[in-house]
Amino acid sequence: MTVIEASATPPRRLAWQLAEVREIAVETPRVKSLLLHVPAWQGHLPGQHVDIRLTAEDGYQAQHSYSIASPPEDELLALTVELVDDGEVSPYLIDNVRAGDQFELRGPIGGYFVWTIATEGPLCLIAGGSGIAPLAAMLRHRARRKDRTPALLVYSSRTLEDIIYREELETMAQRDSNLRLVNTLTRKQPEGWTGYRRRIDKAMLAEVAFPPEQDPKIFICGPTPLVEDASRFLVELGHPFPTIKTERFGPTGGLAS
Amino acid sequence: MTEISSELFLDGNAAASLLQEIFVPEITSAQILCDACGFAGSVGSLRVYAASMGAVLRCTRCDGVLMRAAHTPHGRWLEMTGARHLRF
Repeated sequence: MTVIEASATPPRRLAWQLAEVREIAVETPRVKSLLLHVPAWQGHLPGQHVDIRLTAEDGYQAQHSYSIASPPEDELLALTVELVDDGEVSPYLIDNVRAGDQFELRGPIGGYFVWTIATEGPLCLIAGGSGIAPLAAMLRHRARRKDRTPALLVYSSRTLEDIIYREELETMAQRDSNLRLVNTLTRKQPEGWTGYRRRIDKAMLAEVAFPPEQDPKIFICGPTPLVEDASRFLVELGHPFPTIKTERFGPTGGLAS
Repeated sequence: MTEISSELFLDGNAAASLLQEIFVPEITSAQILCDACGFAGSVGSLRVYAASMGAVLRCTRCDGVLMRAAHTPHGRWLEMTGARHLRF
């Protein structure tokens, strides 16, 4: 009998599976990361997302999408959740979930907003708030693989305390001269803050971003107005539209499902 | 002309789950051609106007409607009148 091995994983339908919470990390006063064990996980690419489905005792279901924050190299799947006060899913994930709890998840989803070290060109990442999550997956993947593709993260937060993964990102940049970290604090800055103190604007991007001649691969993720502004500024600075990939969170934060 | 608030729309990724329930190959990186203006781009780059039961995906250049997808109690619906083709 001849055994024919498939050269690539065949496409498969999206199926719900159970994820178990293994660890919970407090990132900021309003943001936590959930580290999940997903037994039948088939791997993902940095930038992809998953759907979460919660079912109440009376059968009512609420669904929401979250970007994967962990790189493919990690065993546990990390989701970084920001509390949305009138949300259906995030208050539960932030306030009620404990290690050992289970909920339904499906994914990975989306092959468009994706970067791996196999992609050429400098990497230009622009994030606002919890929009850092899928971009963190890209940076963590790059770091785990000791890849030295020139990379830049421009990250807009309200205050110093609101910077998600702050220590990890700083350590990553200290160890890697090809990674530049540019923080801007829009609402409150600590004493002696030397970084930017305003929303991301065209002058800032002209100063820090890779010029169009270097053909950077650009990923922007965050609240809709930030994504809208940043992508417009980059087009005005001469970056071709197809090199700019965006993921808008909408007005309330979090991906629509 | 009224300007549509930028708060209202999302990216093709926001409709990925809904569309991936219908398509077998990965849908957001498929190329879609706008019948009205001839623009070709990834489904993931389209403008998505999302509601609880479905999504409308519009051309980034001319704002023409390329896909309408809905998940109803009577089944999944996909309309693609404004698109000339999808290339996977």
